[in-house]
Amino acid sequence: MGIIRAVNLIFDYIRHDEENNKEETNRALSGVSLDIEEGSFVAILGHNGSGKSTFAKLMNGILMPSDGTVYIADMKTNDEEHLWDVRKTAGMVFQNPDNQIIGNVVEEDVGFGPENMGVPTEEIWERVDRSLEAVGMTAYRLQSPNKLSGGQKQRVAIAGVMAMKPRCIVLDEPTAMLDPNGRAEVIKTIHELNKQEGITVLLITHYMEEVIDADRVVVMDGGQVVMDGTPKEVFSRVNELKKYRLDVPQVTELADELKQAGMDLPDGILTIEELVDELAAKLS
Amino acid sequence: MLRDITLGQYYPIDSVMHRMDPRTKLFGTMVYIVSLFIADSLLVYVAAALFLVAAIRMSKVPVKFMVRGLKSIVVLLLISVSFNLFLTPGTPIFKIGFLQMTWEGVEFAGFMAVRLIFLVLGSTILTLTTTPNHLTDGLEKSLGFLGKVGVPVHEVSMMMSIALRFIPILIEETDKIMKAQMARGADFESGNLIQKAKAMVPLLVPLFISAFRRATDLAMAMEARCYRGGDGRTKMKPLRYETRDRVAYLVCFLYLTVMIGLKIIL
Repeated sequence: MGIIRAVNLIFDYIRHDEENNKEETNRALSGVSLDIEEGSFVAILGHNGSGKSTFAKLMNGILMPSDGTVYIADMKTNDEEHLWDVRKTAGMVFQNPDNQIIGNVVEEDVGFGPENMGVPTEEIWERVDRSLEAVGMTAYRLQSPNKLSGGQKQRVAIAGVMAMKPRCIVLDEPTAMLDPNGRAEVIKTIHELNKQEGITVLLITHYMEEVIDADRVVVMDGGQVVMDGTPKEVFSRVNELKKYRLDVPQVTELADELKQAGMDLPDGILTIEELVDELAAKLS
Repeated sequence: MLRDITLGQYYPIDSVMHRMDPRTKLFGTMVYIVSLFIADSLLVYVAAALFLVAAIRMSKVPVKFMVRGLKSIVVLLLISVSFNLFLTPGTPIFKIGFLQMTWEGVEFAGFMAVRLIFLVLGSTILTLTTTPNHLTDGLEKSLGFLGKVGVPVHEVSMMMSIALRFIPILIEETDKIMKAQMARGADFESGNLIQKAKAMVPLLVPLFISAFRRATDLAMAMEARCYRGGDGRTKMKPLRYETRDRVAYLVCFLYLTVMIGLKIIL
């Protein structure tokens, strides 16, 4: 049994009119079940409106499911009693780097989570030191967050979550507002945390390039899980992905086109190196 | 660069005064203000001046910066001095129409001016040597007792520090919106006051909407990081009194005693 378990999740956004009557319901998730193993790196892909962000917010009790249950380390998220334990266990990083940094100085922001948890002062400092080290932002610890680049801000936000010592981190499109450099920076940091600290990562994104190195890729569409497997398995189904309005990495697309033109290539080529090797083998 | 703006008038330099606990500085400022209001003779003012000069020297802030703070009170100063000069009854020096200047008026106006100047300089030392964050922390801790009677001290200080964090972001955003509206033909410069005020509407509406959106996001991010008010919260940088603070308290008490003593004797 995994650290994150979603059982038959349903979520409705309900719009109320002025008299507080239900005006309109919008089903964002309809029956999502997912079991995520501790220590794994799972990416959730989906187009706008696929329900992936809603799914992320259900993971640490920011939204409560309309029906179904989320278990984080066997605690129910809609259980008042465990709400804070759930949030301690599953940290969350949001899309907009500016709107999630609370402190006026980098190190103070990283300390915000532990402060809220009532961690003793000396231990807060230890945790802050370690977290900043882990995301490689120690050099900026005394700076104002306003002077950092987007990628750096997002790394500070990740450090802020790390300082709470969570067992898994949910990242809700952490790179959507960043430039390519910042994006690479953040993705590298997340991978390092996953490998070195053994933290379970749930990365929600719509950039294909970011999910290539994941252990598992889940594709969502219309509030349901439509594909689930290793990156190789998922990306070998190019036509299906296109149906869900998702692009495949350029190399994969090229390999797919070559294959359809009659070349004998394996399915699910994800990196340029792989394709080069395959082609070199063919030519020699 | 808009993002480089400094808030308040903090002067970054390392001095004893800068390293002092904000609560000590708040207390010192209060003592100083009280002492100015009980002062009524030349000797007492000299003592107050000496105390001020010592404090300025200890803060290592150039006098230039101190004096800058006085600019804002020039008008107030002129008005109160001239009122005191001409409207105090006593031995007349000369008379123009119904206005007469008296010896008592001169003395009173002089003391008044000195008192005001000292007052502003004294509180400027506090703001020049303390970062807004530190000041908020100090206020939260010193006013903590108000929490017992239901004043949300922690919440107010949290709001203040969040406001400080977001001011530069919102300024930058204002700049962006302004440019976007100007690109679409908005005119913020010409016209009279009313027209200018009207021109601000297309600037303020998007700014407010975005501020509210940011607030929702921030609230969500704070909750996700287990924020649930001030109860059970620990501090990463708790305020702690050092030897220098104890000395400063002692000096303040001594100073206040001397001032009260001088007032009683003279």
